[in-house]
Amino acid sequence: LLFCSLKLYILRDFYKILGVTKSASIRDIKKAYRKLAMQLHPDRNPDDPKAQDKFADLGAAYEVLSDEEKRGQYDKYGEDGLKEGHHGSHNDIFSSFFGDFGFMFGGNRQQQDRNIPRGNDITFDLEVTLEEVYSGNFVEVVRNKPVAKEASGKRKCNCRQEMRTTQLGPGRFQMTQEMVCDECPNVKLVNEEKTLEVEIEQGVRDDMEYPFIGEGEPHIDGEPGDLRFRIKVLKHPVFERRGDDLYTNVTISLVEALVGFQMDIVHLDGHKVHIVRDKITKPGARMWKKGEGLPNFDNINIRGSLIITFDVEFPPTQLDEQQKDGE
Amino acid sequence: MEVMSAVPRLLWLLPPVLLLLFPACESRDPELSPVTCGSLLKLLNTRHNVRLHSHDVKYGSGSGQQSVTGVESADDANSYWHIRGKPKRPCQRGVAIKCGQSIRITHMKTGRNLHSHHFSSPLSNNQEVSAFGENGEGDDLDVWTVQCDGVHWERDEAVRFKHLGTDVFLSVTGEQYGHPIRGQREVHGMSSPNQHNWWKAMEGVFIQPSLEPLRHDEL
Repeated sequence: LLFCSLKLYILRDFYKILGVTKSASIRDIKKAYRKLAMQLHPDRNPDDPKAQDKFADLGAAYEVLSDEEKRGQYDKYGEDGLKEGHHGSHNDIFSSFFGDFGFMFGGNRQQQDRNIPRGNDITFDLEVTLEEVYSGNFVEVVRNKPVAKEASGKRKCNCRQEMRTTQLGPGRFQMTQEMVCDECPNVKLVNEEKTLEVEIEQGVRDDMEYPFIGEGEPHIDGEPGDLRFRIKVLKHPVFERRGDDLYTNVTISLVEALVGFQMDIVHLDGHKVHIVRDKITKPGARMWKKGEGLPNFDNINIRGSLIITFDVEFPPTQLDEQQKDGE
Repeated sequence: MEVMSAVPRLLWLLPPVLLLLFPACESRDPELSPVTCGSLLKLLNTRHNVRLHSHDVKYGSGSGQQSVTGVESADDANSYWHIRGKPKRPCQRGVAIKCGQSIRITHMKTGRNLHSHHFSSPLSNNQEVSAFGENGEGDDLDVWTVQCDGVHWERDEAVRFKHLGTDVFLSVTGEQYGHPIRGQREVHGMSSPNQHNWWKAMEGVFIQPSLEPLRHDEL
């Protein structure tokens, strides 16, 4: 007769849910969340009865692992050791990556009723460095936007011009144009703030857009427009991008051109690319380093090449007698 | 005598106490939120309650360039401006704008820069303020200095914008246009700082301040 209250604690492995290692950086965690949230959203998986739970687990995992303090507690004491319940709703987390209406995947709202008026869209040109294109990054922004809120009283809405016919006398009519409005609940605009996470994905190309649905300007009689981040890759002082390949110029001395040399080139994430040359190097000669280019946006396991063009530095003026005798 | 010997002992307690009172430079008061380079925002003139605005409507007099006005509505995307560095000296994304720093203020929708020059404004005969350039590039008269007390341009504080080339302050004094931009206020440059030239950051997309460099300095 042991009907103890057996509370079945299914302790969740948050790292496994996000698919990251225990030493994952905050950037890795954000990247993992964003990718999985797109896949696991219940609207995307209408046939999966477990979709809601999986999605809730994902939100809980992100909430804990993205917070330094909570992550520390979780690492030491597990899910049991977390103080209090979860404070933020998963909706808040999700909308900071995709916008208020972000669950409308695909970025288009063409399925919506075309008669619903929409607020203005905002296109934000986001400048990114080549380092960020190579390694990826997240940009945190605060969106302060006016939000339509209910207010007391009524207001005029859906105003339009209509033709009115009035009778002036028997058989005589007059048509005039009149402004006619409906009555709607009153609305006021209140400013609200929220944090948005914009991902700079590895290999991202110029003019690619990241939409945050519903984060544009409000429309009092309809829906808000969208906020779109348009990537603008800045020119780099050392590397030139062509597709997934990187081009760079290196100047070597005349001696090195004749005798050979070794050198390191510092790459975009700081790692060194070692170059060895033991033959004669003519000016304009090129060296291809496969796999040292940029990651391909569609498959980051594929990388382009680094192409190094060598320029030979000749001595500036005349060689004096001593130099002519020497080398 | 007791007092004399106590003082030196207290003196070497001072440095560690001072260190506690003035922590390392990188820590910042979490309540302050500065406007950063690259942010998109609307600017509200605090005296007249209108937002800095531009559109594809040219002045009918003066320079004939794109007009800049003040509007009452809070939900028009044509009131968004991009904070950028000086020509040829871009500012780094996410770095807080300092008081006294020179910037360009670029109209989001048309890509033209807030600009002023020696032309008269149409309604009040102050100095005309226009939107000039293509794709964010204009000339040296696109540069404005942010004037404020303190270290950085804070989002919740009003600041002034002084035109670098002609020394006027971005202002509104209330004159209103008629058709086709009925109700919009004239924005112009005035030579003296006064209650008409305070502006505050309102709605926008604010890039959070970043402390780590985006690029390795050795390059």
